[in-house]
Amino acid sequence: MSAHSWGSLADSSTAASILDSALGAVSDKSDFADARLIEAEEMRSYVTLGSDPDERIEQNIGIGVRVLVDGQWGFAARPLGSLTDAVSAAHDAHASAVAMAGHGKPVSLPPREPSSGTYATEVAEDPFAVSTEQRYELLAGWLAAASAPELVAAAQAGINAKRQHRHYADTEGSRQHQHFVETGAMLLVTAHGHGDVQRRSYPNSFHGNTAAAGWEYLSSLSMLEQAARVGEEAVALLTAPMADPGQADVVIGPQQVSLQIHESSGHALELDRILGDEANYAGTSFIRPGDIGSLRYGSPAVTITSDPTVPGTRGSFAFDDEGTPARAFNLIDEGIVRHTLSNRDSAARSGQTLTGAARSDGWGYMPVCFATHVFLQPGQGSLDDLLERMGDGYYIDDNRSWSIDNQRLNFQFGTEVAYEVKRGRRGRLLKNFSYGGITPQFWGSVEAVAGPSEFRSYGYPCGKGEPKQWGFLSHGAAPMLVRDLRIGVA
Amino acid sequence: MSSFTAPVPPDSLLETLQKAASGTSADAVEIALLGRAGEYTRFAGGRIHQPQNITETQFIVRAVADGHAARAACGTLGDLSATVARAAALAHDLARRAAAAGPATVADPVDISDMSLWHDDTVAFDAGARAALASSAMKQNEAAAGMFGRAVTQMAVVNTAGVAHHTLATEASGSLTATVDEGTSHWIDLHRSAGALGIEQAIARTVSEATAGRGRGPLADGHYTVVLGPQAAGELIGFLPDFGFGGELAAAGVGLLAAPGPGAQVAAPIVTVADDAGFAAGLPIGFDLEGTPKSRVALLDRGRVGAAVTDLTTARELGTASTGHAHIAREEPPRPVAANLVLAPGDETEESLIAGVERGVYVQRFWYTRLVDRVTGTITGVSRDGCFLIENGRLAAPVAGARFTHSVLDLLATVDGLGRDLRSQPVMNVWNGAATAPALRGHNFRFGAAS
Repeated sequence: MSAHSWGSLADSSTAASILDSALGAVSDKSDFADARLIEAEEMRSYVTLGSDPDERIEQNIGIGVRVLVDGQWGFAARPLGSLTDAVSAAHDAHASAVAMAGHGKPVSLPPREPSSGTYATEVAEDPFAVSTEQRYELLAGWLAAASAPELVAAAQAGINAKRQHRHYADTEGSRQHQHFVETGAMLLVTAHGHGDVQRRSYPNSFHGNTAAAGWEYLSSLSMLEQAARVGEEAVALLTAPMADPGQADVVIGPQQVSLQIHESSGHALELDRILGDEANYAGTSFIRPGDIGSLRYGSPAVTITSDPTVPGTRGSFAFDDEGTPARAFNLIDEGIVRHTLSNRDSAARSGQTLTGAARSDGWGYMPVCFATHVFLQPGQGSLDDLLERMGDGYYIDDNRSWSIDNQRLNFQFGTEVAYEVKRGRRGRLLKNFSYGGITPQFWGSVEAVAGPSEFRSYGYPCGKGEPKQWGFLSHGAAPMLVRDLRIGVA
Repeated sequence: MSSFTAPVPPDSLLETLQKAASGTSADAVEIALLGRAGEYTRFAGGRIHQPQNITETQFIVRAVADGHAARAACGTLGDLSATVARAAALAHDLARRAAAAGPATVADPVDISDMSLWHDDTVAFDAGARAALASSAMKQNEAAAGMFGRAVTQMAVVNTAGVAHHTLATEASGSLTATVDEGTSHWIDLHRSAGALGIEQAIARTVSEATAGRGRGPLADGHYTVVLGPQAAGELIGFLPDFGFGGELAAAGVGLLAAPGPGAQVAAPIVTVADDAGFAAGLPIGFDLEGTPKSRVALLDRGRVGAAVTDLTTARELGTASTGHAHIAREEPPRPVAANLVLAPGDETEESLIAGVERGVYVQRFWYTRLVDRVTGTITGVSRDGCFLIENGRLAAPVAGARFTHSVLDLLATVDGLGRDLRSQPVMNVWNGAATAPALRGHNFRFGAAS
């Protein structure tokens, strides 16, 4: 049986019928309307040192309807208990748009050709078909390996999986049916002793790493051997020295680069932020609409791409959450800002290219601009080649703390680990490493990026909007060499 | 337009949940309903760009078999019976593969003191009222951006040991960022009562502060006496659970409860920070999702290390009773959470706090604050919006946002003045979570990146 054959919305025709009912309630009195009908199920298994396992599985189904009436948006969402809920959501959305009449500049969406189709994540082994016993055998092994060193005070391991049926329809005629499966794992170790507390994580310091894939994804992570490594490193960090503050050359590992992309590239390039829509919550951007096409953002080694058509990531899809077909765009091309992460509303208002970055957290929230699969294009060579090229400096990875200002300009990040590098060879382990800078100066100091063999992708959750909604996305990178970075800032 | 009603009809709800809980082979079952029907009017760029009506419900079922617990959740009552069966099956599965009986239980029934969480002024805070306020804000400040909202929050918990709690609460929220040239100001507040937010006054004050912020210059690195506005102060106290006041850290022997330990003086004697769901600020609810009544827990009691917030699991590990702080955040393992943090107010006005400073900085708000060192309590972030130099007891030139890296505990140890007016702000990723604080005055706060 397919990993997508579950629940009550696996069938496109059933979903289309519900969506048509919702749109039918408002289509003759709206300029435009769209509806998203989503069924989702998420499984999370955690084991914690000294505690009983925690097992949970969550299911929800609901509909979100968005309408445009005389240039004013309205939106309503609710759980789907019956067909009545779909129609009620449509009526509520229409009523809220009507109530907004006269409260601001109207929006006019350029017409868009309808696009319809079906998309499904490639899954070799359904994670929901894996037995509880198999899951907990793995988790117990990871936890034991990670907590073996004496000074490990806390350790936690987890496996997660999620499956979704996401159906979309609009009054322009688009009908889209997407079926997603994702699988992930996490490990977090806290060591305590010698007057210090240190943490190590794997495979991503943000809730673990999750990919659009089946159970087979876990075997690519080598969790057991990595668990032993991070446990030992957490303890070793307790007595590790710190780097001297100052200026230094640094090779940044792929996880930390992915976080740097998220905070200083992805967010800075969201067009709704650039236009001020998020000024009250998520913030704005140092990039202005007039900068697009000409602003030097980084060195010629820096090309950052949004491409949701790359399979297997948390930012992979065929259509975004307002029905725009997925396409690849270079956001930063050899250091120059070329495109933004845009949705229909922001693109229409600013005259910028529509790049299909409207994303929403399930059915319950209005789509806003979020990253897709946004990644740094790899360069050439291996990590060792990059360290050799650097000579003396540091190799750092795995985010420990992250802070950046409202305009995504002034940042300070800390990493879980750093290694001293002398003549291209890794040496001492260092703790509490931090670095800071100004976004375009930082990316302008990137001298080289390692090649495709060193490239890794990381799935992230992200928050935006009021009320806050989550976005799920992906960033990828190979290690990169940054010259003359300000280090030891905290 | 949607009516302002409970997400799930309350009539016979507890009986329905109890019936669902009782129909399994599990040793014990607990069901928690978390629901919210919210209406939000969000505006920016001279328009209401995101009006949203969002109803969400989640039924979280926790089943226990031979002392091993598992959870399953669904979104509608119609799926509840199947979800209870699913949780029970998962729990039995865990029990079968376990070497011995586990320690998991459900809460015992305890009476909860009645606290009215329903406010008619929030009922009246409808789309028309919110749109009018948004228009007023945008009229007073062309670049205004903000959100005004109201919601009905519904929470119910039953279990097979006899717990049966249900509450309906109103929720009002407001936030605004005004921008005048490069001057900005921000306001945010949460309360069960819309009237308590004072939105019209907040709009006028925020626009006035943004206007005063024009022509701001850089803040020189250095150590300053600071007056933190209520939002900046609230952001700092939100870090206290990270210093060992969450039950899971306390159980692991990490943080202030392990060393220097309860009773140790770590903050100024005028600083008391408690998690207090009985305090009428923020978004209190009197019980947690395990059905345990929320106790007032002083994290810092007159500057001394107090106690940790716990749930059933961490309380058992610590050998105490649950304080009623069970929580499950999305994409995270369950852990106890301080959802109603309150820094006890003093008796000063912001003006009198400022009047006591010869040279210093007023900080309206912090941004993107992150923990750097759990042992020292050091965090990093930037100041932003309505920040000013203080000279000779008065606000002077506006200053731009600046990076800081400083220990929260070090600052709390220097506090010598607290304001009387409280404001609340959401706690990230915590359902109904809020941190409430007055303005405070502290010393030797370090702005600048490098030490």
